[in-house]
Amino acid sequence: MTQLTPQRYTGVMDWLTTVDHKKIGLMYIWFVLFMAIVGGALAGAIRVQLATPGAVWESVQAAQLAGTAMPYSLFSENRDLYNQMVTMHASVMIFFVLIPGFVGFANYIVPLMIGARDMTFPKMNAFGFWLLIPSATLMMASFFVQGGAAASGWTAYPPLSLVGAGSNPGQDMWILGVHLAGMSTILASINFIVTIANMRAPGMTWGKLPLFVWATFFTSVIQLTATPVLAAAVTMLLMDRNFGTTFTVASRGGDPVLYQHIFWTYSHPAVYIMILPGFGAISHIVAAFSHKKVFGYTGMVWAIGAITVLGFTVWAHHMFSVGMPTYLQAWFMYASLAIAVPTGIKVFSWLATMWGGTIRFTVPMLFACGFISMFVFSGIGGLILAMVPTDIQLTDTYFVVGHFHLAMVGGSVMLLFSMCYFWWPKMTGRTLNEGTGKIVFWLMLIGIILAFMPMHLSGMLGMARRIPVYFADFIALNHITTVGYVLTFVASIIFIAQLLLSYRRPKITSNDPWGINDVQESFEWATTCPPPVYNFEVVPPIPVASQTGNH
Amino acid sequence: MMSKAMLTALLLWFTCVLGAVDQVAPLSAATTASAPSAELTVDQAVALFNPDIFALREGTKKPVHLITDAFFTPASDIAREVSHNTLFNTLVFLPFLILPQVLLVYIIFRFRKREDGRKPATFRGNHMLEIVWTAIPILALVVVSVPVWHLLWKMELPPKDQDKALTIEVRGKSFAWDYNYFNDGIAIGQDVTGAQEPLIIEKGRVVILNITSNDVNHAWWVPSFGVKKDAIIGRYTNTWFTPDTLGVFKGQCAELCGVGHGIMFISSVVVEPKQYQLWADLQHRRAATTKTWNAIRPGGDAQPAELTEAVNAYLAKDNSEVARWALRFWIANHLESICRKPPKGFDGITIRAAVAPIRDRLDHALAAL
Repeated sequence: MTQLTPQRYTGVMDWLTTVDHKKIGLMYIWFVLFMAIVGGALAGAIRVQLATPGAVWESVQAAQLAGTAMPYSLFSENRDLYNQMVTMHASVMIFFVLIPGFVGFANYIVPLMIGARDMTFPKMNAFGFWLLIPSATLMMASFFVQGGAAASGWTAYPPLSLVGAGSNPGQDMWILGVHLAGMSTILASINFIVTIANMRAPGMTWGKLPLFVWATFFTSVIQLTATPVLAAAVTMLLMDRNFGTTFTVASRGGDPVLYQHIFWTYSHPAVYIMILPGFGAISHIVAAFSHKKVFGYTGMVWAIGAITVLGFTVWAHHMFSVGMPTYLQAWFMYASLAIAVPTGIKVFSWLATMWGGTIRFTVPMLFACGFISMFVFSGIGGLILAMVPTDIQLTDTYFVVGHFHLAMVGGSVMLLFSMCYFWWPKMTGRTLNEGTGKIVFWLMLIGIILAFMPMHLSGMLGMARRIPVYFADFIALNHITTVGYVLTFVASIIFIAQLLLSYRRPKITSNDPWGINDVQESFEWATTCPPPVYNFEVVPPIPVASQTGNH
Repeated sequence: MMSKAMLTALLLWFTCVLGAVDQVAPLSAATTASAPSAELTVDQAVALFNPDIFALREGTKKPVHLITDAFFTPASDIAREVSHNTLFNTLVFLPFLILPQVLLVYIIFRFRKREDGRKPATFRGNHMLEIVWTAIPILALVVVSVPVWHLLWKMELPPKDQDKALTIEVRGKSFAWDYNYFNDGIAIGQDVTGAQEPLIIEKGRVVILNITSNDVNHAWWVPSFGVKKDAIIGRYTNTWFTPDTLGVFKGQCAELCGVGHGIMFISSVVVEPKQYQLWADLQHRRAATTKTWNAIRPGGDAQPAELTEAVNAYLAKDNSEVARWALRFWIANHLESICRKPPKGFDGITIRAAVAPIRDRLDHALAAL
C-alpha cells in the first residue's frame, strides 16, 4: 500500500496555509505577544501623560495665572487623542491579548491533553486565527483616519459613541473590528466544544478531563453564548451611526441605557473568558511542581461551572450609578458577592494542592504563586466593589482601574506567563533560561504591585478614571504607578526577547522535561517536544492516574 | 509687550467708565431690608460663594482645599454611612485577604523541596475541609449583606423630610453643569467667563438632585457627599444627601463624556442657612445687575453714559442697601471670575492688580449713594 503524503508548502507559506492546531496555537501566541507590545505602548503613552507636570491641574492653573509657559505635557492640549489612547489600550488588551492569549494556549494544548490528533474543524480553526489580523489592522488603522480612532472608551457608551457619525469613521472601524474579533472567538469556541465533546481518547471520560480542558470547555460555552450579545450591542451602534435607526437615540424613542445593559451582558462574562482557562492551567502547574495530584478535582470543576453560570447574572454591577430599580441593584450585588464562594474554593484548593508537596520553585511555579497572591488581592477588591453603596463611590474611579488591572495583569497576565514558561518546552522543544525567567518574574511582580496598588488608594481618595489631568493630591500615587509600569514593560520586553532567543537553544529530547508525568493526568507529556504533526503515533494510553481515584 | 499695552488700554477704559459712577443721581427711596453687609463684606461673600477650587497655597504650592473623599473626609449623612459600611465590610473581608497570603508564604517555606528525602503527600481531597471553606465565606457574605441592604434602601428611597428639601435639577452638558433650584426659582451654571459655578447648598438641609443630561452621558459626583449618579439624556436619575459640614467640596464628571471629560469639574459649597438665604437673594438680583455689568465689563462697548443710565435704572427699581450691596457683589464676583480666567493676553496677577483699585472706587461710589 502506498502511503499518501499530502503536498505541503515549506517555510513561510507553510505557516500561512497551515491548519495544524499546534502551528495555529503558536501563531496565536506570537500575535498576542506583538499586540501586547502595542497595547503596552498605548498604556505607556497614558502613563507618560500622567507623569508630566502638565497633567496636574493646579500647576496648569498656576502657569495660566502667572502668564508663564504651560508645563510640559503630552495630551493636556489634545485630550481627544488621550481618550483614543485609553480606548485603544483597553480594546487591544482585551480583544487581541487576553482573549486570544488563552485561545492560543488552548489551541495548542487541549487536543494534546485529550489525546486528539487535531481540533475537529482544522480549517475553521485557521480561519478563526486569520480573522484576528484584519480585525486588529482595522482597529489600529483607525488612528490614521479623519477624527482619529474611537475615543468613547472600550465600553463605547452611546450617545458619546454616536458622535462624529457620518464624518469620522474611527468608531465604525472599531465596531467592525470588534465584529471580526468576536467572530474569531465564536469560531474558536465552537471548535473547542465539539473537540472536547467528541475527540477524547478512549478512557478520557468527562470525569477524568484535565482541569485546563474543563476550563476551556466552560470558557468556550461563555464565548459561544455571550459574544453574539456583544455583536448585537455594537451592531445597534453601527445602525444608529450609519443607517438612521434609533436604538440608543433618546430624542427619538431609543434608550442609551439599553445599550449599557446589552453590552455588559457580554462584557461581564467576558472577564471570565479572560481568566477561567488560566484557572484550569494553574491547577496543573501547581500540582506539577508540588509533585502532587490536584486537590479536590470535583470541587474545582463545579467551581468553574458555578463561576460560568453566575457570571451571566451579575452584569449590571458595572452600572450601579446608572439609576436602576433598588431590587435589581440588590440582586446584582448579592449575585456578585456569591461569585466569591466558588472563587474562594479554587484559591483554597490550589493552596491545598501545594500543602504537603515537595515544591520546586521553577519559573512557572513562581508565576503561579504570584498569581495566587495578586488574585486574592483583586478578589477582595472585587468584593468591596460589589457592595452598592461603596460601589457608587468607587465606580469610574481609579479604584476600579486598580482592581481590574490587578485581576487582568496580576491575574491573567501572570497566568499567561506561567503557562508560557510551563508549556514552552513542549510547544517548541526548547527550554527557557530559569535565571532570566526569575528576573522577569520579580520585575513583573514588583511592577504589578507598584503600578496597581496605589491606584486603589487614589480611587478611594477621589481620582476619576479616564482623565488626562488630575488634582495635585494624586501626584505621588501616579508617579509610583508609572514606575510600576516601567518595570512591567521592561519585564515583558525581556520575556519576549527570551522567547525569541530560545529558538537558538538546543532541542530537548525528553518528552517530559519537567519530570512531572507521574502527577499529571493529561496526555501532553506522553509525546515528543514538540509533538509531531499527528501528535500521537498510537492512541495514547489511559492517563497515568485517574483524576478522582484516591491513589 | 503686547499684554502690557492692552492692560494699559483696559485700565484706562475702566477708569473712564467708572468715572461715570460718581454722576449717578442719588435716589431717595427708603431702605427697609436689613443690611447683609453686617454679616459679610463683599469680598468675603465672593470668596464664600465663588471659591477658587484650584487655588494653591502661597509658598508650598499645595492645594488650599484639602482633598475631599467619601471614605476619609465624609461631609454628608450618606457619605458617613457609606464610609462606616465600607469599613465594616472591609473588616469582614480582611481575614479572607490575609489568610491565603499567610498560608501561601507558610507553604512556600514549609514545603519547599529540600534534599531530605521527604516524599510528597498523596491526599487528593478532604470533604470536611471543602465544606468548611465553602461555608465560612458564605457566612461572611451573609454577615455583610444585612447592613448593606438597609443602607441601599435608605439611599434609594426618598429622604424622610423631603418637604423641606432643597430640590435641584442637575443638567449635564458638554462640559459643564446647569443647576435649577426648584424651591427658589434660581438657575445657575456658568459664570461670565464660561467657568463652572459652584452648587451652593445649606448645611443640615436635605438636598434632592434630579439629574439629567442634554447630550452625552455624564455623572455628577462629589466624593465627600457620598453620591454619584449618571446624567443620561431622556431620563432623570435621583439621589439625595444631607450635607453636614461647612466648606468647599471638589468633584468632577465621572463618566467619559468626550474631549472635556477630564476638566469637567464640580465644586459645591455648603453654607449656613442664613448665608444661603443671602445667596438666594443675590441670585434673584443677578439678572437686574446684568445691564450694569454689561456696561462695565472689560471689552464691552458701552459708553460711560450708559453705565450711569444702567445704574440709575437698577436703583430706580430698588434703592435699598441690599440692592446696592447686591450690585457691588455681582460686579466684584464677575471681576473675580475674570481674574481667575483672564482674557487672552493677560495673566491673572496683572489683571488682579489692575482691577483692585477700580473695584474699590466702584464700591466707594455705590456706598456713597
